[in-house]
Amino acid sequence: MQAARIAGGALGAVLLAAACGSPGWRVARADSRRAPRAIAPLAPGESGVALTGARILTMDGEDRILERATLVVRGGVIEALGGDLELPQGFPARDCGGLWLFPGMVDLHTHIHAGPGFGDINDMALPLNQDLRASAALVPANANVRRACAAGVTTLFGIPGSGTSTSGFGVVYKSKTSGGYGDVVVRDPGGMKVAQTHNPERRAGDFGATRAGLGWLLTDLNERTLAQMEAGAVELGYQNLARVHAGELPVLIHCAASDGVANAARMWKGRYDTNCVVSHGCFDAWKIAPYVRELGVPMNAGPRTIDFVTTREGRYVGIADVYQDQELPLLSLNTDSPVVPEEELFLQGAMSARFGADAYPLLRSLTTNPAQSFDLGERVGSLEPGKDADLAAFSGDPLDPRSRVEFVLIDGELQYDRARDGQWF
Amino acid sequence: MLALAVIASSASGRQDDAPPSAWDPAPGGANAGAPGGPGLALRAAKILTCELGGPGWIDRGVLLVRDGKIERVGPEGEVEVPADYVRLDVGERWLAPGMVDLHCHIAGTFDINDMVYQTNPELRVKSSVIPSNPSFQRALAGGVTTVLYIPGSGTNSGGQGVLVKTAGETWEECLVRDPGSLKIAQWGNPERWGPGVGKTFEAYALRDMFTKGRIYAQAWKDFEEGRGEEPELLIEYEIFRKMYHEDVPASVHTQIYQVVALTITMLKGEFGLNVFTDHSEVGSWPAAKAAVEYGVPTIVGPRSIDAPSRGFMTWAQVREEGFIGLARKWREGGQTLVGFNTDSPVVPQEELFVQSTMAVKFGMANEHLEAVRGLTIIPALVVGIDDRVGSLEVGKEADVLVTGGDPSDPRSAVDMVLVGGRRVYDVSEEQRRF
Repeated sequence: MQAARIAGGALGAVLLAAACGSPGWRVARADSRRAPRAIAPLAPGESGVALTGARILTMDGEDRILERATLVVRGGVIEALGGDLELPQGFPARDCGGLWLFPGMVDLHTHIHAGPGFGDINDMALPLNQDLRASAALVPANANVRRACAAGVTTLFGIPGSGTSTSGFGVVYKSKTSGGYGDVVVRDPGGMKVAQTHNPERRAGDFGATRAGLGWLLTDLNERTLAQMEAGAVELGYQNLARVHAGELPVLIHCAASDGVANAARMWKGRYDTNCVVSHGCFDAWKIAPYVRELGVPMNAGPRTIDFVTTREGRYVGIADVYQDQELPLLSLNTDSPVVPEEELFLQGAMSARFGADAYPLLRSLTTNPAQSFDLGERVGSLEPGKDADLAAFSGDPLDPRSRVEFVLIDGELQYDRARDGQWF
Repeated sequence: MLALAVIASSASGRQDDAPPSAWDPAPGGANAGAPGGPGLALRAAKILTCELGGPGWIDRGVLLVRDGKIERVGPEGEVEVPADYVRLDVGERWLAPGMVDLHCHIAGTFDINDMVYQTNPELRVKSSVIPSNPSFQRALAGGVTTVLYIPGSGTNSGGQGVLVKTAGETWEECLVRDPGSLKIAQWGNPERWGPGVGKTFEAYALRDMFTKGRIYAQAWKDFEEGRGEEPELLIEYEIFRKMYHEDVPASVHTQIYQVVALTITMLKGEFGLNVFTDHSEVGSWPAAKAAVEYGVPTIVGPRSIDAPSRGFMTWAQVREEGFIGLARKWREGGQTLVGFNTDSPVVPQEELFVQSTMAVKFGMANEHLEAVRGLTIIPALVVGIDDRVGSLEVGKEADVLVTGGDPSDPRSAVDMVLVGGRRVYDVSEEQRRF
């Protein structure tokens, strides 16, 4: 399970050659399959930039890694990238000098949209609060979000807490270091937040204190919503949930251990066939990985990266290691920020590698996998023409904690520049 | 030996039914490398020898261990393995020296700070050591094999620290050197000892102690060299004979610029003591020039950075907007002897290596193994045990880590640890502890 790694720093130069030739690292030195095409000059009034001399981890469907490559941004969108691009006219150029360009990372389980602390994100008014929206508490470019940006995390699903069975709808936004609601929001409501088990028990009085009660609450809610949809008259508080059932919005389900994960997958995929992602998957949830795979539910693992509590087997279990082995679809990692600081999302990958997971697929778990599993893959998660120009320039392997983020673009705009701003993380 | 067989075969990718090669471990080799046992040959993809002044690593190397000591180390083709040695191929894994932490408080019970007087140089923290305690067992799994266990910083001198290994069942097995150091707290905690005590009184208290200690040590030296009467034995001052005449160092809790500068100019400049600065944090890196001039090494931690938080900025005199990597600033100031500490349990003992990770993340150059050397040979040199540990060189104690890769990279886990040639941790035989 020890995948080859690219080490920065001391022995980087020595190891690079060996590591690049290892399984999982496909290096496209010259992309002959796509003929270079002419890029129109940057017109007056257009914004754009050309990043040159970079190693580009595209995280595209072919897992291409481009060497000494150029990436061209026009109007906030990636226009072209490749190792054989000619520098187009009129674009300001930035020489990356071998920096690694990596797609801005995507975290589907975050609570920092309202700013530092846990404030204002969990109105536990009723056991079911499917009509609430987290975006009401969104503070764009708050201090936590700015640090996340400086660490290369650019897209977040900001969600309410897990104090009740459903706490409402989260907001998908970007971690720009300045700007307001209209500048940062990608999708609002971005998706639903459900807490299947492992927290909403605390809210219940005499009902919902058990798995049986919690399951009934959610089933009843879904059945009532479906009945309204069938009758063609959906009440105000049910309209967003109706969009979930219509397949228009995804749902992220807090479910910590094996029983919760199994219940969540069975209900939201098996029974209602929603576009759902099970989140956490910690403790002993790894033991039911085959069941999750069978139902085809994407797993969003974290903030715990290891299980040593429940195994009774006298060993640490790397959670992502098991999920990789069991070939769970679109495995992603989360921070549950501020439980793990948002800026340490990459560290969830690094620690997963330490406890046995393969390195390159972990990079997908921080970028394309969360994006694709939450209907965001058309815009973010990989560096491809037509995608949002959200990227971080790392001094080395993004999974290596010794690497530094040198600069970050979101929608093609420079949000953070270590040389200009000092090192924020 | 089953465990060794598993590692060897999985690392080389051979099937169980493949014919045995010369690198299969021999039966009965569990004590190979240990004192009294057969010799042990380790073959690895990379050996971080970490010697000062050399490249510091060998590709495709072989390390021979016999009777607890390193017997040979070199490229595979250049090291002849005697026929009776147990051969262990660790495959793509690396070998590295066991790490050395010069600021540790977890070697036993936590009653390490009798704050009796403003200075307590007579107290010895050795009385609280518990060999192989649970914290030590995790420390081993993080690659830490030698620690300087020191008293707290509640008074200007908390007493005498001791150098011990993290493996070993008895005090005698653990002991590296006693006393390891005299713990000094220059400022930034001892104020708690009494009302109204601040930097100026604390400087006086230390100057008073070291002056009296010097007079005492000189009186005994004179007597021993036939130049005077036998002085009265004062056990509270005995440590100063070892400091002034046997090079036992002062390990100094010191931070912020003016206090670190005072540590350097007073303890080294005025008293000529062997001294290194611990902590070395909170805006103290401008003292690098003085540290280089006076020859005082720098051990950084548990903080890795000066952070731009409110209040802290004033205290640290931080002027820059972003985080400032401390090791980077000390190195850029000309200091070549920069090591790392945890102040365990402030940072868990097993996470010593993370201190070097953060140093690189926050800008310390790492072109010449600065990170790993700051965990191994530099602290060993600073505290005067580099003839015994800190690098994988012939004649040294065989404190060897088998790691998944660069030990300063958190993605590399420690899979096996030898201390003094004894195999004290092996994840193929037991739970991974970290």
